Amino acid sequence: MMQLPRQAIVRILLSVLLILSLYLLSAATENSVRFGRLYLWLLLINGVVLVALLALIVNNLWRLVRSVRARETGSRLTLRLMALFVVLAVVPGLVVYGFSMQFLQRGVDSWFDVRVENALDDALALSQASLDQRMRDMQQRLQDAARDLADVTEEMAPITLGDLRARTGASELALLGENGRIIAASSVDTGNILPHRPEDSILLQLRQGRPYVGLDPIENAGLHIRALVPAPGPGGPGSSRVLQGLFQVSPRIDNLAAEVETAFSEYRELAYLRGPLKDSFSLTLSLVLLLSLLFAVWSAFYLARRLVAPVSRLAEGTRAMAAGEYGTQLAPGGNDELGYLVRSFNDMSRRVADVRDAARHSQELVESQRAYLETVLGRLSSGVLALAPDGSLRTYNQAASAILSVPLSEGVGRPLSALVNRYPDFGPFADLVAGDRQSPDSEWRAELSLDTGEGRRALICSGATLPGEGDRGGEVIVFDDVTTLIQAQRDAAWGEVARRLAHEIRNPLTPIQLSAERLQHKVGTRLSGDEAVLLQRSTETIIHQVEAMKEMVQAFSEYARPPALRPQAVDLNALVREVVELYRGEPEQPAFRLDLDEDLPWLQADPGRLRQLLNNLLRNALEAGEAGHCRVVVSTRQGSGRFADMIELDVQDNGPGFAESMLNQLFEPYVSTKPRGSGLGLAIVKKIVEEHNGMIGARNVDGGARISVRLPRVMPGDARQGNEQ
Amino acid sequence: MPAWKNAERTAIGLTLLLMAMSAFAQTGGFGVSELDIRVEDQLVLADARIDYALSTTAAEALENGVALVIVQRLRLQTARWWWGDAVVVSQQRRYRLQYHAISRRYVLTRLESGESRSYRSLDALLLRLGRIQAWPVVRLDRLDEGEDYRLRLDTGLEVDELPRLLRMVAWINPDWRLRSEPRYRELSP
Repeated sequence: MMQLPRQAIVRILLSVLLILSLYLLSAATENSVRFGRLYLWLLLINGVVLVALLALIVNNLWRLVRSVRARETGSRLTLRLMALFVVLAVVPGLVVYGFSMQFLQRGVDSWFDVRVENALDDALALSQASLDQRMRDMQQRLQDAARDLADVTEEMAPITLGDLRARTGASELALLGENGRIIAASSVDTGNILPHRPEDSILLQLRQGRPYVGLDPIENAGLHIRALVPAPGPGGPGSSRVLQGLFQVSPRIDNLAAEVETAFSEYRELAYLRGPLKDSFSLTLSLVLLLSLLFAVWSAFYLARRLVAPVSRLAEGTRAMAAGEYGTQLAPGGNDELGYLVRSFNDMSRRVADVRDAARHSQELVESQRAYLETVLGRLSSGVLALAPDGSLRTYNQAASAILSVPLSEGVGRPLSALVNRYPDFGPFADLVAGDRQSPDSEWRAELSLDTGEGRRALICSGATLPGEGDRGGEVIVFDDVTTLIQAQRDAAWGEVARRLAHEIRNPLTPIQLSAERLQHKVGTRLSGDEAVLLQRSTETIIHQVEAMKEMVQAFSEYARPPALRPQAVDLNALVREVVELYRGEPEQPAFRLDLDEDLPWLQADPGRLRQLLNNLLRNALEAGEAGHCRVVVSTRQGSGRFADMIELDVQDNGPGFAESMLNQLFEPYVSTKPRGSGLGLAIVKKIVEEHNGMIGARNVDGGARISVRLPRVMPGDARQGNEQ
Repeated sequence: MPAWKNAERTAIGLTLLLMAMSAFAQTGGFGVSELDIRVEDQLVLADARIDYALSTTAAEALENGVALVIVQRLRLQTARWWWGDAVVVSQQRRYRLQYHAISRRYVLTRLESGESRSYRSLDALLLRLGRIQAWPVVRLDRLDEGEDYRLRLDTGLEVDELPRLLRMVAWINPDWRLRSEPRYRELSP
């Protein structure tokens, strides 16, 4: 059920009160006894209401004008509706008022017919004429009676008057003396001792000798004819006696005259009150109309506001929507079409907000998927590159950058070849991708050996065309660094070879040595001269060579089975200085340059193994250099970027550098370009680096070769010690 | 020139007086011109003269059959220092004035007794109405000796007795505002 707003209830109540008061006013106007007394009060109350309504209207109008000036939403529509309502209410009201006023004037006038008025006047004149005749008769009778009194003395007068009264048929006869003094009186009504005295002006008239006759309406006794005539006494005409007679008009004529009198006076009164009556009706009508109109105007404000309110709210809501405040909800507005509009707006707004939320949600979903994918890609050890259909780099993962040793972030949105200029090492990879992109196959696989800053790397690449718009979408390239894998396989194979060789060779060596010593011991004493010298030399050679072979086998054996690591905190710089000091007195007169980072933190490592590593590297460098002109640069520094938790050690010589063909197997046993050396030096270096979970690389630089070693500051599985240090 | 000024003043005064008189004639007015107290046989009696002059409007209404009611109020009161005057006696006489068309006479009826008299002219009626003789006010023994009493007389047209339609006009129109100022007479028994 619709609930009326409080203001509407107040207005309805007010209008009911107003109608009631107007009804009472009109009832009071129509000569009603019941409301007649209320009339003035009603006028007053309605007047007050009128003023209050006027004040309200002025207030409303002022508010409306102010809001129109302030260009508030809906104010102009309110004004227009308001004007419409006022015109609709006022114009018909005024027309009805005009006609009513005219009808009222004419209607009231039409009650008073000229003919009726004339008839009443005539009736009055007729009555008067008829009574005039009787009056003259009565006057004549009284004059006759007066003559009879001419010789009656004052003492005799009462008796004579009684006779005369009976004879003349008067209801009262009185003989008056000087100044109206009563000499004698006779009346039908015996209870009434005092006669009805005439007024002074009549006595004055009588004193002048003129008789008087006239009608006298006496209360409760009906119409009487009063006649006064001079009644000279025995003293002659000089005496101023007056005879007064009151004659009752016959009851029939009295009744008729009374009716004529009543009708006439009522009509005269009505005719006289015509003006006030019209005024009163006009006043009531005007008041009713004015109050109704003002109430209508006042209500028009309310109605216009009420009608416009949802429209204003809609306008505000639309503005809010346009400003991006989706989901704006308006207060519900009734069951009419405007209310429906508001509900529709609310629905629309809610849906827009839902759609926006859904879009935002899906965007978040996409973002999270993307982040998820990025995380997965970032955690992949394989490098992944995605290329746009035009061959430019779209996305990549961290592993790709690490494996290729190229900051791929610089190349996003550009073709891979753009990076080659700055990073020449990247060339083979870019060429490979470009070449495979030309092929019609949607998938491809290739192996690639790439020379990077961290050394030579073996990559296995595979590419696939991505689905996309047009005939060719983008491309995804996945590649793995298999250098370590290949190296591990080689190391395993070499370890096996070394173990077997050691085992197989060591066994016959001892018998050979023993045999040679016995031969020397047994045969040497029997021989003499040159033979003895020959034998001596030969057996010594055998024994020396066997010793050498034993050492070699021992080295093999060590290579295959390294001792357990005993890691502890090591100051690499101190170790470097210590080891370098050992080589300063070498016959090659090497020149060392130490480029050590003084802020280098200590690292967790086996100092013995590190010493061997340094030994091997320095010897390798010294052996590469030309005797007398050997220059070795040893540098240490803290790693940066993704190697931030590593310590880097470079050893660079000024030798001829590594042969290109050897770069791939540089760290394998028995790979050496030098006439001296076991061929195990760099293999052992690599082994030590790997024992410490480090990395090693070698490359040719201008004027020599450089071997770079990266060692973690804290060995995995030994974090506790590292922290303590 | 004081003489000239005096003449001017006199002229203005006369004009104003004439205007006031004509206004009085038109609007009419009641006034108690005399009020006397006498004691006869231990009875306090009041004699008074009241000048009645109906306004043209009221006289016209009377001619047209409208009955007018005039009331004369007599009060004997004593002053109280702490409150308004205490009324010892309050009496009123109500008269109805009517025009009788057939007899062409004006009828004056005292409403309390119903006693009526008719007059040839309105002036005669008003003259009679304005003559109050021996209005018994109070017995002397009812009054406290030494107390100061004040007799108050006033008269006026009863608007409430007019026909209702006329009543509304009478509230607004000053022609209908016919009442006298009260007149007082001290009485010390």
